Amino acid sequence: MSLTTEKAAGSVRAAESDTIVNYWPAYWTMICLFVFYVTIRIYEQYFGWKAGLDSFAPEFQTYWLNLMWTELPLEFIAFCGIGGYLWKTRDRNIDAVTPREEMRRLLTLIGWLAIYAFTVYWGASYFTEQDGTWHQTVIRDTDFTPSHILEFYLSYPIYIIAGWGAFMYARTRIPQFANKISLPFLLFFAGPFMIFPNIGLNEWGHTFWFMEELFTAPLHWGFVFFGWFALAVFGTACQVLDRVIELSKEYEKDALSL
Amino acid sequence: MSISTEAGAPAGKAWKSKEEFLGCVMLTDWILLVVLFAVVLGSFHIHYMLLAGDWDFWIDFKDRRMWPTVAPIVAMCFAAAVQSFLWQKFRLPIGATVACLALLTGEWINRYDNFWGWTFFPINLVFPSALIPMGFWLDVVLMMSGSWLVTALVGSMGWGLLFYPINWPVLAQYHQSAEIDGVLLTLADLIGFNYVRTGTPEYIRMVERGTLRTFGKDVVPVAAFFSSFISMLIYFLWWKIGTWFTNTKYIEVDDI
Amino acid sequence: MMNKLLATLAGCVRPGALRALAFGLAAAIAATTLPAATPASAHGERSQQAFLRMRTLNWYDVKWSKTEVNVNEEMVLSGKVHVFSGWPQAVAKPDVAFLNVGEPGPVLIRKGAYVGDVPAPRSFSLQVGKDYEYKLVLKARRQGRFHVHVQMNVEGGGPIVGPGEWITIKGDMANFTNPVTLLDGSTIDLETYGITWTYIYHFAWMAAAAVWILYWFMTKGLIVRYWWVKAGKANELITVREKRIGGLWLAATLLAVLFGYAWANSAFPRTLPMQAGLLKGIDPIALPAATVTAQFKGGSYTVPGRELSVKLRITNSGTEPVKIGEFTTAGLRFLNPSVFTTRPQFPEYLLADRGLAVSDETPIAPGETRDVTIIVQDARFDIERLSDLAYDTDSQFGGLLFFFSPSGNRVGVEIGGPVIPRFAAGATL
Repeated sequence: MSLTTEKAAGSVRAAESDTIVNYWPAYWTMICLFVFYVTIRIYEQYFGWKAGLDSFAPEFQTYWLNLMWTELPLEFIAFCGIGGYLWKTRDRNIDAVTPREEMRRLLTLIGWLAIYAFTVYWGASYFTEQDGTWHQTVIRDTDFTPSHILEFYLSYPIYIIAGWGAFMYARTRIPQFANKISLPFLLFFAGPFMIFPNIGLNEWGHTFWFMEELFTAPLHWGFVFFGWFALAVFGTACQVLDRVIELSKEYEKDALSL
Repeated sequence: MSISTEAGAPAGKAWKSKEEFLGCVMLTDWILLVVLFAVVLGSFHIHYMLLAGDWDFWIDFKDRRMWPTVAPIVAMCFAAAVQSFLWQKFRLPIGATVACLALLTGEWINRYDNFWGWTFFPINLVFPSALIPMGFWLDVVLMMSGSWLVTALVGSMGWGLLFYPINWPVLAQYHQSAEIDGVLLTLADLIGFNYVRTGTPEYIRMVERGTLRTFGKDVVPVAAFFSSFISMLIYFLWWKIGTWFTNTKYIEVDDI
Repeated sequence: MMNKLLATLAGCVRPGALRALAFGLAAAIAATTLPAATPASAHGERSQQAFLRMRTLNWYDVKWSKTEVNVNEEMVLSGKVHVFSGWPQAVAKPDVAFLNVGEPGPVLIRKGAYVGDVPAPRSFSLQVGKDYEYKLVLKARRQGRFHVHVQMNVEGGGPIVGPGEWITIKGDMANFTNPVTLLDGSTIDLETYGITWTYIYHFAWMAAAAVWILYWFMTKGLIVRYWWVKAGKANELITVREKRIGGLWLAATLLAVLFGYAWANSAFPRTLPMQAGLLKGIDPIALPAATVTAQFKGGSYTVPGRELSVKLRITNSGTEPVKIGEFTTAGLRFLNPSVFTTRPQFPEYLLADRGLAVSDETPIAPGETRDVTIIVQDARFDIERLSDLAYDTDSQFGGLLFFFSPSGNRVGVEIGGPVIPRFAAGATL
């Protein structure tokens, strides 16, 4: 109850300025993530070659495995922390939300989706293909290669956390997503999430089959299947837009005359 | 205890003024465009690189049989799905182009920053397949016909057939040949041979290695027609998959 | 609508901020392509199972013509390889193999590859039980100090890494060139050939795509179009004029494609398909009939002592007495100091110059058959992780044993067989 009250106080302060939309938290998050990713990529540029070729070398332990043992617990904590915070501070009387506040939250959700989309790009595109770059260039001698430590165990958890945050924000603050579960939103979050467990299949296969790094090998198709579910952004966007339109009925004429 | 800021019933208005509404709509439009572009980029890229990526990564995979067969088929999935969404929900004839541009943006960033910047392969070994004119074709056919059925039939045919001619202006130069130690190699073969890929031996290439019988030397048209036919089927399927992903269903909390 | 949109955007973005952002972006991307650090370690071969490294390809006589080269300078990596007769079941036979280089990216480019006398830019077949000579002509490209291995990829078997040596490359990659003479006699630099045109061609189409997308996006944006469609006015969204523009856009596209295709055909009239196919019939080294045989009579591996003990029944059917001088496996060389009185030139991490002991050092006379025990012991066995032999599902070792005669003649004999692990220190065969 006290937490709710604190949150309420914060919301009241926000309401004083009464800004309907503020994407700057999303921009700043993306800027910070961008800086982080570039930094980690520079680290990879340097320590990939210097210490990442032989998983039995002591420097591999120092520069790569330590990184992994650091990032994984932090990611777990971030996942639980964000989900827990959003749940604890949920709107407990959500059906009483005013249209203006609901619109504000819908727009905030779009900011969340932007962050999620940004992290999906980095995970599914940038770091996944750079994994191909590395494994087709050098010999893959462990499940935890430098590119995997940054791809599977860093960029993927980050987009999962971002998707989880977006999903939980909607679940706890926006009536249409709180009262029922949005199927597309669930798929949009859960599909790419399932890529993470699919890593298990990938590593199992690479361990037991002598394979060169053929990217189109059937072993990799599980990633593709779950990647398709990101297209559920379509339905999620429609659900958000449907409500935005509903809440903006008074300007329908203006909108349709544009 | 509500955290809503305006006390009372959820009546009232969402917007203070028309200007506020319009300004917000315009700004949010851009954010939505970026969201869609980035998600399509990520999703399409992982799909394409794991189903057709090897042909796309390397110049010495870009043959006249497998590459023009596989690449358009695999690319068609997302072109159709994004078209389905943007056409049906927004009447925008840009779906295929958005998909192609998104994919190529992701690919080029990676080829430059990682294949060249990290592992030092020259760009002429690792540039991606060109796709954009195929996107224009598919989008304009949909716009003109207004029919996904016509687009599946006519659009897919052009989609598959255009692929090789689109890529040829860049590829042709690498199909000039050289004699190396008495062995005939195209420049594409030679780049792959010269620039060592420790994890990628030559035999891994899934390329034409001679067939029992071909119609003269017309391998590419046969591959392109076949690719087009399969692309038609893919288009039907993926238009529906795209439509399915635009569903706005809700399920009861108790159901999960 | 468009003016309003631009005005909104202009209000949102300060030119100074935009410049700073663009500069930051460019700097960040440039930073990721900075020259990388020099590798400090080998190439991951140590993760491969002992049986794979010992019982597939036995590398010997590996030589690096230089260990210090300048950018653009060539060096030769050559040697011989014995294809082990007891090729493990878990690995596909080397019916399709490829001579490769284990190096951190193309720091040296492969100008030539030969198996026997046959140029081998493509894959080839090897016969089990035979020996082959190979040669790799490498040209230095990127400055730094790199570990360079000979490597054979076997389809269904993966990369089998041979010995590696540190190669120092001096100079600057910016000065690297890779001239190639085409069939028509002209010479091009493959390092940069066609890259600018590739950029122009691709980015021009991508820019056109961006124009097409932005044109449509900026007419009404997304939210308003969505609203129109929901209001049942979807068919009013695309005007006749826009359809005309679309038609022209497509016509121009097709014309450009047609022109590009015709131009490419006229600019490069002589193009050939990529060359592929398996090289068969490469002759192995014509070795004289072996004058020494070594029959495996049992073996053990003492884990704490890193000691491989092998009992052999050796028969010398030659004309000279012979001594056991070297055992080589997985690129490692274990030398008998009573035969090798001077240390040969070979990478330190693979050369155990006192790693081989023989129970009876007296030369085996012509016509004599004798039972001997050889003991292979060195920390390198452990460092290279061959001691994991004890944990293989098929605990068999393999390798080549070299006999030397007083006249300097060398005879290589393949040995191999199951070994029993001993986990207690001091255990004997």
